[in-house]
Amino acid sequence: MKSSALVFLTAFMALSASWGGFVLAPQIQLGRNAQAKTVPAGDLYPVARPGLANQGADVYRALGCVHCHSQQVRQDGVKCELVLTDAGTNTTATLAALGKLKPGLATAETLSGLPKTLMPLADMNAADPLLKVITGAGAKAEVHVTPTGPDIARQWGRRHTVAQDYVFDSPVQPGTRRAGPDLANVGARFPDRNWHLRHLYAPLAEVANSTMPPYRFLFEKRPVGSGPVPDALALPAGFAAEPGFEIVPTDAARALAAYLVSLRADSPLFEAPVTLPPAPATTAAK
Amino acid sequence: MSNGTQSMWNALDGEPTATLKAVPQWLIVAMLLLFLGSAVYFDARGGWFEPKVYGPYNSLANVESFQPPPPSGPDLNRGRKVFEATCSLCHNSDGAGKPALAPPLAGSDWVNTAGVNRLIRIPLLGFAPGPITVSGQTYDFPAGMTAFGSLSDDDIAAVLSYIRKLWGNNASPVTAEQVHAVRVEIGNRTQPNTVEELKSLPE
Repeated sequence: MKSSALVFLTAFMALSASWGGFVLAPQIQLGRNAQAKTVPAGDLYPVARPGLANQGADVYRALGCVHCHSQQVRQDGVKCELVLTDAGTNTTATLAALGKLKPGLATAETLSGLPKTLMPLADMNAADPLLKVITGAGAKAEVHVTPTGPDIARQWGRRHTVAQDYVFDSPVQPGTRRAGPDLANVGARFPDRNWHLRHLYAPLAEVANSTMPPYRFLFEKRPVGSGPVPDALALPAGFAAEPGFEIVPTDAARALAAYLVSLRADSPLFEAPVTLPPAPATTAAK
Repeated sequence: MSNGTQSMWNALDGEPTATLKAVPQWLIVAMLLLFLGSAVYFDARGGWFEPKVYGPYNSLANVESFQPPPPSGPDLNRGRKVFEATCSLCHNSDGAGKPALAPPLAGSDWVNTAGVNRLIRIPLLGFAPGPITVSGQTYDFPAGMTAFGSLSDDDIAAVLSYIRKLWGNNASPVTAEQVHAVRVEIGNRTQPNTVEELKSLPE
């Protein structure tokens, strides 16, 4: 061939350009992701899964859960709002300050039922002068950042999922189809492990009109009293085994339930800012 | 096959032939416009391959403009961490204390004070072994209390604010400046506090 070197070089350039774009560049961007700190609390995120939950990730993979469930929450936009949290002691001064921000706010109604959203903002930078006016009057206000989008409206998560959420997943199972709901935050929605066990055994017992197939082969039916079983399922009538028998989860079911409970991607990160609702005092005491 | 036959076949089949005709100018202009449009679109929304930028944000500055400000006032989260790591072993996670180890903090009249001068000295220097009266009840601790002066001013302020806010306690937060002032006053003393000595100091 007359110009074989040219043909070879052209083919090599074309292939290495796509390798660079699809393999090398993402590896440089995200390949070294490690635990990072949440903003502003400074906790480490994500936390490695406990051993049983790690085994559950393999069960999740083996059963093909990923074919019907995604683990990625999408986000369309972000909302920034000024929220009045404390009216202060001098309500006259507070109302005067609020009137300066927006004339319609200077009514006694604004101060009832706190915390109350005062107005939408463009971003944090727009908030600083407004906060100064409010704190100057002795009241307190916060700026809340709320991601928006259809997935968040469905309460599948508080923010979009980012690469940081998958740091400890191997392989990553973000999924592509949604025959069932998204599971990125299923541990936050259903923190009870026994709920997941009942749901795996008989989805219709927990979710009306569920189209999920029951995974009964993950459970054993045993005569009551044949062994110590502290986690036999407490099923509603119609799903429970006949008298004298009980439904006991196998190790695979326990691992899968532990994995599902561990799925939770809602920590506020730099790349996914979100204001979480304040934790109730009881959890702070723990 | 002669040349004449060849050109006849080409004409019959409508086969394309290479000519010296240039690429039409409108096509070049259209390609350039397409390239310009993509470049502008990428610049506005691509985030320039920044790994910390995900949609709907379009640049690092845009993500930064939505970062929540650092918490003002006492940092209860930090106080909780210091408490769990340092204090909860003896005072218990619920502040109820443990027999023969530490008195309760919940509802304690040593914790719910107006001033914090005495309170700050307790973690800085610890307590000598001996009896102590907390909220009217006398306890005797044979080991006293270890000094935690190695903690930073911020950590001590955070943990004291934390114990003054939790378990039904409701007292004003402690600032790092207050802790620093007491630390300067103490100097390089390592002798632990005694109950009588603390009682003699202003609250």
